[in-house]
Amino acid sequence: MTTEILWWIFAVAIVAVSAGVVFARTVIHSAIFLILSLAGVGAMYLFLTIEFIALVQFLIYGGAVTVLILLALMLTRMGVAGRPEPTTGVQAPFGALVAAGLMATLIGVAVATAWPGDPGGNAVAVSIKTIGEQMFQHYGAPFMITAALLLVAFIGAIVIARQEDDD
Amino acid sequence: MTDLPFGEVFFGLSWLDAIIRIVIVVLVMTLVVVYLTYGERKVVARFQMRLGPTRTGPAGLLQGFADAIKLLIKEDVRPRNADRWVFEFAPYLTFIPVFLVLVALPFAQDWGVRNLALGMFFVFAVLGLNIVGVLMAGLGSGNKYALLGGVRAAAQMISYEIPLVVALLAVAMVAGTLDLNAIVSMQDSRPFILIQPLAFVIFVTAMLSELHRAPFDIPVAESEIVGGYFVEYSGIRWSMFQLAEYAALWAFSIFGSAIFLGGWQFPFGDDWGWGWQLVLTLIKSLIMIMLIFWVRATLPRLRMDQLMSFCWKALIEVSFALLLVNGLFLFYEWPQEILAIVNWVGAILFLGGIYLRAARKPSTKNLVGSYKHAEVPNP
Repeated sequence: MTTEILWWIFAVAIVAVSAGVVFARTVIHSAIFLILSLAGVGAMYLFLTIEFIALVQFLIYGGAVTVLILLALMLTRMGVAGRPEPTTGVQAPFGALVAAGLMATLIGVAVATAWPGDPGGNAVAVSIKTIGEQMFQHYGAPFMITAALLLVAFIGAIVIARQEDDD
Repeated sequence: MTDLPFGEVFFGLSWLDAIIRIVIVVLVMTLVVVYLTYGERKVVARFQMRLGPTRTGPAGLLQGFADAIKLLIKEDVRPRNADRWVFEFAPYLTFIPVFLVLVALPFAQDWGVRNLALGMFFVFAVLGLNIVGVLMAGLGSGNKYALLGGVRAAAQMISYEIPLVVALLAVAMVAGTLDLNAIVSMQDSRPFILIQPLAFVIFVTAMLSELHRAPFDIPVAESEIVGGYFVEYSGIRWSMFQLAEYAALWAFSIFGSAIFLGGWQFPFGDDWGWGWQLVLTLIKSLIMIMLIFWVRATLPRLRMDQLMSFCWKALIEVSFALLLVNGLFLFYEWPQEILAIVNWVGAILFLGGIYLRAARKPSTKNLVGSYKHAEVPNP
């Protein structure tokens, strides 16, 4: 019962802050709402008893990715406080179209798929040991390929960002 | 979370029990923070051949309370060009993650708020969130120094989180679990600092940086950017930043002493009651805190580019090498004694390398920005 009430509180809060991401008047406020929204989704994972994914969500999305977004905004837009800037342009209708399409696809997939390991609609607790074994043994190759991809992206970012005097 | 309640549940209600326990921990934390500010002033003063606070109460013992009262009744000023809600919520977002960390810490075998199966991961996942508060403070203040402090803090904390997490994961590999209480109870005969000294060195370095303590206190460097991201705060909001900082210091010390120094377990084991275990935890965390104060009083502040290149060019590589070596030893089940020896050699080489690098005349080549024209005198 308590869990259900908490679930609804979090659900409403996530929808509210997500609306905040879209309707905030400055990009900085949007980014801050985005952090709250992603942290709320992390709390949702707790209700589904997948603590590991919830903590990864806090660590990666709450603590790192959105902070990098904020950092980039801070470095590129000085003195934004109090001065609203346009967050929509000619691309707004196309953005709305893409968002609506993505939402329709995701809802369709979520409803239409018969999810394994979900008998009777009850969430099954997955231990970190299972996740680790699956990731490094069963899905070892995709894991390594993702790692290589990230490494390439990392080196590329360094090469682009590095300012040499002589070139 | 999968919570294994410590001992009996107060009043038989899980949520009431959690609230009672967290209230106890927070009250203790407040007292500890008051005395940490006093202790830091006193310790650093002795290092500098001063006396520190002596006037308020016997030996200045009431200084912390006097400061607290002064801060509470001070006017709360908000700059006119500040971004109102961002400015006002930033202190809370800095403080809440630290508050959450206290949930997972094992104070004694049967005493903590909750024992989480993923306790170690929980601690650094949640601690990472207080970057958000720091950034919001920097952004919302409408002050260029605060903004600079926020940018520096964000860059530094994101970078140093990687070696911190990797070094702790290396220890978790040896322990075979992420459950903090289980990790502590494993260290009955030898604490993990003896097996993983290199991980301890990396942990302490990254911890200093995450806490903005000297020599990594660039985001709050008062002589460069007048105080960093909280320049514009005053009174109660400023004291919340201070509370968050010292509470994080204490939480990190207990966390570090649980993982590396044996927490409540080493050297007496479970035979001694929870009272002694609490005392043991507090003494070990005080040792960690003393280490931090000592470093603060001894080492000069690094430069921003030195800080970042130390993290990305030295600390991360060493921590990944440590992870690799631990993996090899555990996979082929080579004896732990050899692993410990390899680790000690690594730790000594690493510290020696830092010392030699610091002792030699700094190079002025390859510097960026205004540092290009830096002149370095002969030592």
